[in-house]
Amino acid sequence: MKIFQVEGTLVATARIGGLENRRLLVVKERGGSKQVAVDPVGCKPGDWVIAVGSSAAKDAAGHKDYPSDLTIVGIIDYWDDASPEGRK
Amino acid sequence: MQIQRVVRDLVTTKRNFWLQAKPLRVVEDWRGNLEVAVDPIGCKPGDFVITIGYSAARIATGNPKITTDLTIGGIIDHWDEARWRDEIPAIAP
Repeated sequence: MKIFQVEGTLVATARIGGLENRRLLVVKERGGSKQVAVDPVGCKPGDWVIAVGSSAAKDAAGHKDYPSDLTIVGIIDYWDDASPEGRK
Repeated sequence: MQIQRVVRDLVTTKRNFWLQAKPLRVVEDWRGNLEVAVDPIGCKPGDFVITIGYSAARIATGNPKITTDLTIGGIIDHWDEARWRDEIPAIAP
């Protein structure tokens, strides 16, 4: 699992049927690039979250036929990105 | 999923059977790296899209037997190059 910060929601009206009407979020990896993740949890912009990738993302999004390669699985309660260990 | 931009279509007449007749598009990321993705939607060049990778790409085509590792999952309604290239800081809640 990787740690991401939520940047905002992503609106994509024309989408494949398999994606259903799930919420998609733009997330940014710590010191890395932007990606798009499925959000079954309900995150706000600015939240630090953990997300699973590859084939685990399909199950985490609800069922094993869901076409996701990055799914948010939890919101981190306390995260201070400035401290070296990354925790308070 | 990644945010990418459609560059152009790609025609390959002679192809692997399990690619079937799926339309292909050349897509680029913000660094300008080119990749090829299956397009089940019908995108125009210049469209910003989300692309699905890994094994989910095969499911996204509608048939898990299709041999692809990158499939377009949707066209983004509002996106611009500056936000793509990270010149704008995070959006306020």
